[in-house]
Amino acid sequence: MTLTSAAVGLVLVAAVLLGPLSTALAHARWVDASPRAAVALWQALGVSALLSGIGAGLCVAVERYHAGFTGGVAELVESVTSGHPLTGLGLPDALGLTLAADLAVVLCFLLGSVSVRIATTRARHRRLVDLLSLQTHETGAAVLEHDAAVAYCVPGIRPRIVISAGTVELLDEDELAAVVAHERGHAHERHGLVMLPMVCISKIFAFVPYARLAPSSVAGLLEMAADDYAARRQDRGALASALVSMATAGAPPRCSFGLTGGLVSRRVARLLDPPRRSGRVIVGVTGAVAALLVLPVALLLAF
Amino acid sequence: MRMGLGQLERRVMDVLWDAPDRSLSGREIADRLPDRAYTTVLTILERLRRKKLVERSSEGRVHTFRAGASRESYLTSLMLEDLGSAVDRNAVLVRFAQTVSPEEASILRQALDASRRRAQ
Repeated sequence: MTLTSAAVGLVLVAAVLLGPLSTALAHARWVDASPRAAVALWQALGVSALLSGIGAGLCVAVERYHAGFTGGVAELVESVTSGHPLTGLGLPDALGLTLAADLAVVLCFLLGSVSVRIATTRARHRRLVDLLSLQTHETGAAVLEHDAAVAYCVPGIRPRIVISAGTVELLDEDELAAVVAHERGHAHERHGLVMLPMVCISKIFAFVPYARLAPSSVAGLLEMAADDYAARRQDRGALASALVSMATAGAPPRCSFGLTGGLVSRRVARLLDPPRRSGRVIVGVTGAVAALLVLPVALLLAF
Repeated sequence: MRMGLGQLERRVMDVLWDAPDRSLSGREIADRLPDRAYTTVLTILERLRRKKLVERSSEGRVHTFRAGASRESYLTSLMLEDLGSAVDRNAVLVRFAQTVSPEEASILRQALDASRRRAQ
């Protein structure tokens, strides 16, 4: 019975992590001061919930051995390696195993297929940028002959920083250097890799608050992290004015997301008036990340 | 070497894009790149064909090549990808700044001006 209650406990933990805690983190504003710490917290929430889910399934599956969690898992492994994995399996055992295996398989498959799709898109995009860019700007960015003001980074082993002729026209020298430094920040800190699992879950688990909120929140936090990277190397004020120029250049958005518009304002505000980075926040986040990763494992080992 | 190949691919594409009827034989392309051997040009064409940037058709025993699409439409597709579906947008990472509403724009400009005045 104890393992079943452990399973129930783990499911509850996962539900709290993916529900109320995710919603709270999405609405927190302290994150603007420490975007990278907040990204780590989002990642820890997801990993912790995943571990809890897999752990809960395993709990139900090894209940029948009456040997506690570690003993039960050892027996399960032995019965699998000895070639009789399904002997004596009742309905709840089978369901538990199925849940644990399904979660693992679905996530691996999703991560794999979306990764391949994204890698293909990136490769094609890089190739076209190389063929189409008319010149390389003095900052090292490829320039595309297009009037719209855009700047972006195509991640990869050899990332490409792309700006359009419209951007070169719109911004002065300092602003341009700041924008390119921002994009280099994305490339240097491998933000493309951070976003990968986020894109995967947003496709399938949209009914889970975490999967709905984490991708957009993390994307915004990575923009701030790239702003910080640029601000350490180029002029802060130039980056802020570039941000405003670029955000107000095009036609207003047809469908404006409440959060997206707000993001530009938040970024400009923290560039003009940098929030003080508090040591307490860093210590708190580090503690929370450690606790999140240890909690499900500790709960399992206790049984 | 890698860089060299990339640049050569570019020059071949430029030849195809700039050709008036947009369809050339391997020999005609090689003639427009006098510093490159015919076989090199054919290799590059084959690479571009594998990447689906060049199409080949046969007229009798002569192969002719043409660009998969015009320079402009490739450029447009790049720009659209930037604003396109969620997966593709994340593939190239969100653009530097999303466009904001006119109200937000004027608030942002005021904040910027105020900060500039303080700095002076």
